[in-house]
Amino acid sequence: MTNTIQILSIEKTGKESSLQKEHNNKSIKIIDGYFFSKNLDGQKFTKISKLISNDVSQTILTKENVNKVLSSYSNFNWVVEIKFLPGVTDNIATTVKEIIKDNLKSSFKSFELGSTKIILIKGRKEDIIKISKNEANPLIQTIKIYPFKKYLNNFKKDQFKIEKVKLPKKKYSKKEINLDISDYHLSLIGKLGIEENDKSRRGTLGLDLESLKAIRNYFSTIKRKPTDVEIETLAQTWSEHCKHKIFSAKIDDINEGIFKKYIKGATEKIIQLRKDNFCVSLFTDNAGGIEFNKDWIICHKVETHNTPSALDPFGGAITGIVGVNRDCLGFGKGAKPIANTYAYYLADPNKKYQLYRQKNKDPMLPANFIAKGIISGVRVGGNCSGIPTPQGNVYFDDRFAGKPLVFCGTVGIIPKKIRGKLSHKKKANPGDIILMAGGRVGKDGIHGATFSSEELDPNSPVSAVQIGDPITQKKMSDVIIRELRDENLYSSITDNGAGGLSSSIGEMAKESGGFIVNLEKVPLKYNGLYPWEIWVSESQERMTLAVPPANVKKVIKRFNARGVEATIIGKFIKKEKAIVKYNKTKILNLDMEFLHEGYPKLNLKTSFPKIKKEKKKIIKKSSLIDKLHKLLSSPNIVSKEFIATQYDHEVQATSIIKPLQGEGRVFGNATAIKPIFDDEKSIALSQAAYPQYAETNPYDMAGCSIDTAYKNLIVSGASSKKIAILDNFCWCSSDEPDRLYQLKEAAKACYDYAVAYQTPFISGKDSMFNDFKGFDKTGKSVKISIPPTLLISSIGVVDKISHLTKITPDDGDILLVLGNTRNELQDSVYSKIIGYEKSKNPVVNSKDALRTYKNFEKANKLGIINSAIGIDLGGIGIAITKMAIASKKGLTIDLKLKNKISVDQFLFSETQSRILVSLKKNKLANFKKLFKASDYTIIGKCTGSDVIEFKDNKEIMRGKISDFAKSYKQNIKGL
Amino acid sequence: MNVLVLSGYGINCENETLHAFEVVGFKGKIIHINDLIQNPKQLNNYQIFAIPGGFSYGDDTGSGNAMAKKIMTNLYDQLTDFSLKDKLIIGICNGCQILINLGLVPSLNKKDPEVALIENKSGSYECRWVDIKVSNNKSPWLINISTLNLPVAHQEGQFMIPMNLLKSIKANNLIGLQYINHHKKLAKGQFPFNPNGSKDDIAALTNQNGNVLAMMPHPERAFYHYHIPNWQSKTLKKFGDGYKIFMNAKKFFA
Repeated sequence: MTNTIQILSIEKTGKESSLQKEHNNKSIKIIDGYFFSKNLDGQKFTKISKLISNDVSQTILTKENVNKVLSSYSNFNWVVEIKFLPGVTDNIATTVKEIIKDNLKSSFKSFELGSTKIILIKGRKEDIIKISKNEANPLIQTIKIYPFKKYLNNFKKDQFKIEKVKLPKKKYSKKEINLDISDYHLSLIGKLGIEENDKSRRGTLGLDLESLKAIRNYFSTIKRKPTDVEIETLAQTWSEHCKHKIFSAKIDDINEGIFKKYIKGATEKIIQLRKDNFCVSLFTDNAGGIEFNKDWIICHKVETHNTPSALDPFGGAITGIVGVNRDCLGFGKGAKPIANTYAYYLADPNKKYQLYRQKNKDPMLPANFIAKGIISGVRVGGNCSGIPTPQGNVYFDDRFAGKPLVFCGTVGIIPKKIRGKLSHKKKANPGDIILMAGGRVGKDGIHGATFSSEELDPNSPVSAVQIGDPITQKKMSDVIIRELRDENLYSSITDNGAGGLSSSIGEMAKESGGFIVNLEKVPLKYNGLYPWEIWVSESQERMTLAVPPANVKKVIKRFNARGVEATIIGKFIKKEKAIVKYNKTKILNLDMEFLHEGYPKLNLKTSFPKIKKEKKKIIKKSSLIDKLHKLLSSPNIVSKEFIATQYDHEVQATSIIKPLQGEGRVFGNATAIKPIFDDEKSIALSQAAYPQYAETNPYDMAGCSIDTAYKNLIVSGASSKKIAILDNFCWCSSDEPDRLYQLKEAAKACYDYAVAYQTPFISGKDSMFNDFKGFDKTGKSVKISIPPTLLISSIGVVDKISHLTKITPDDGDILLVLGNTRNELQDSVYSKIIGYEKSKNPVVNSKDALRTYKNFEKANKLGIINSAIGIDLGGIGIAITKMAIASKKGLTIDLKLKNKISVDQFLFSETQSRILVSLKKNKLANFKKLFKASDYTIIGKCTGSDVIEFKDNKEIMRGKISDFAKSYKQNIKGL
Repeated sequence: MNVLVLSGYGINCENETLHAFEVVGFKGKIIHINDLIQNPKQLNNYQIFAIPGGFSYGDDTGSGNAMAKKIMTNLYDQLTDFSLKDKLIIGICNGCQILINLGLVPSLNKKDPEVALIENKSGSYECRWVDIKVSNNKSPWLINISTLNLPVAHQEGQFMIPMNLLKSIKANNLIGLQYINHHKKLAKGQFPFNPNGSKDDIAALTNQNGNVLAMMPHPERAFYHYHIPNWQSKTLKKFGDGYKIFMNAKKFFA
């Protein structure tokens, strides 16, 4: 009898080699373990072992062979055993359970199991402690370190244990909360949560005093006390995450708030001016939709998952990506996800910041652990879901040490009409059944929505992490997109994200009027959850559907046939009431109006911030060639190829412009997919953010982001009339007037530039408190705020394959810079790495920019442009070098600069709205017909040699392309 | 002629795989594994059985393992029968891992799996384009092709083959495809030409009849010319190299 199956790979696994390399120790071996809640007899042990292992490449440990097998690898002396904490999503265990159930049928019914990773090492105890710190996250895993002998003993005596969720057996009785208490006690409820009978607190609700008073007033008018579920629900629904209170607040003299005035305002203005069918569904749904062609709509949504990724980088990021996939599934009647995008803003992975959430304890995870975890999380989430992830970028700055920013986006596609009905319209009708499909509900992510609105401080509930399970979601998604949707079997659909059922049902019920939910029907991962926990849990991989009663049986049957659970949990009603019952006790009964609009509106004031001037750094005297190498190898410019190759960007066979471009594999700033086999139209994607410019001038920062995101699509060949943008504001300390000033300025720029460029905002999201409050290693309290970051994602339609551009010039091509270059080196990569004297920050002149873009678009359609690259970080110098690396073709640059600007200023200034292009010689005449002489500069030609040369009357630099490529492809230290 | 493209539990390349077959002239259907288990007789209506790429069961317990065990328990005899007839089977990427785990390839001793696919030597997922040569012209899938430029995308693509078996595999000419370098010579394990460290640069194996092909690279993702990296700099015809494999299937039944 035994209760554990342990398997090891005969040959060294990739993980083992990387551990061995990292720790310079060849005696490291990893065992995959499975602990069972039931003892397995000999026959079952053999059967199950065989089911979950590979005869050829793996060995199963038994009491008889364990000594011999392990001693054949090394003379191990330490062991670290890593297991998930009870209740944390264990995807491998789920699969193993499924395999056993599938193949052994009825012979092994109710049992629990947990997966575990056991690392064996020969070395010092310090080494194994170090490994355990790198390999496990104490927030979600238990880590046990013990001598190898004890491990053998445990093995032989079956002393491995699976830890199940142990929740006290509790009978729920309706809990009423007294709000007629002092302001101080009232605010404690908001900050620390509802008090339990044992005086413990449930965790932050993120409700301020004003909101709690509004709740008190409501209940005093309806003459009863609120239940705990009602308060929890209001906290979720009114959270900054769900209601975007700051964006909708009156701010200075803007009564309607900055969202309505600047973001939605811009889009409304554009729609009014355009008079076409490009904008299909904006702001109201889970994602924003635009027209792709006469039969299809595409939608796009970008989310952030910052706080969870700070606590559990892998779990936070995987949940981020599969979460935003569900936003597409929940767009209209359900769009099929066809591309993922990512953008990470991280601290330097090579630095040790040593930050603590509490004095001398509760350390922040190391920056490289966070970076690696985030990159892996999106890899597993994207790859396992079969959605290509072509488009992304990474940016490093010390100010992300307290909170990384993780942006995850998804593009979806849906036919315009399904069975004759417009697919982007949906409406839950009174009488429709509320069906929950997908995963089960556990304690994961409880208080996610309320806590992501709060700063990361010692009271942040660390239980607020979820781990995505892409396979469960993929199974569910296949049923919805391929079967149910096209038979029109449901009337509305939305995803369960922040706030769980309370949010999804609450939102959807606006369509019908109200809802009644029976919480005891909700399938649970384990018993013992309180009703309020079921109601607000953020367990992943769930969609909520409104299904007409006549179709319910069919829908459930279809889900079940594909191995997906689906459960009736209530119904939509006409009456505008939100009603939740638990075993027939009514535990929530609110007016829909109060639920959604009862929160007190904020009234915000801004003030002009003190500008923190960039410290003047003395320019180190070095040659131009040195400067180029330094810039190329700097983390924000260096190639991100290592991410592109681990993210499957080819799945679905749609990749048409890939993330790595040219024979020399340069990491591009725009990519394209062709989603429909029989239409040559494709979708171009890009994104931009300039947090480094924010403190100097937030208005210009936003202008630069929009300009770059737009420019990259124009350069890739998208039609200027078919570009839409998305805004993701990640701000800090949004309760401080000077931060709000920056926010208002950035939002104002959003209006101005979006209207100028005629690019509607179709969707957006904000995350307003990305601050870390804690302590440094000496115990001194510190606050680290991210620089205000506005990510603009752009999505555009490319009408013809022939419009798609490349970044590689050919021999004999003439090189030109479109747009003028100014001395705008402030906050540039150059100024950070080399130093700067007197300069200005980049300012976008939309009139000049549009002239360049319109002419470029014409020239490209006429076949005048041979290659093109948008000029961004590192300026013309870096753009030139990238062209040469990508094409492996030499370039000769003759600057012929006038006195106004120095060589360094010309080459490294980050002036916006410029494009580096190459033309075949015989196209120059046609080119000149389109462009005014003052709008471009001829700077050189493509020689086809193996060097890049810069001349300014005389030769000033000459370097081999292969050397530049080496600098550009350096590994990022710490990753 | 009809092709059955399998789906379910995280398989994810079924649409593009079916599309490729349809373009060369097959009729086809995507069928969920559970529906096939419910009614295995429908296999009789098909001449090609294709297991596309994906992440069945999230690669947990080893890529392809869980799906292979599901097939073994529920469909093994029917699928073995299929492979013994004048019909074709292809497994691409995750499908390759499934066929290998089922032992349908190389199937020299006709019982347990003999070969394993283990984690890439690099330890990471590799999505990149590779050059490969056809080493076995007797498989109908590969006939009259010399080299191919196709993408791979996998975490576990390293063929692990016991010494003795490798000898018989070579003796029986069952190596289908091998990674080559930019000089068109065998990659000799060198990264990135051989993206996973596979023994003898193996990218695909066949069974003895050659009608069952288990390949790690993705032909359906190199189907049209615009799939090929940097296609704008090249003079290309309408189709990419992947097309040739699907065309061969068509010719086999012509």
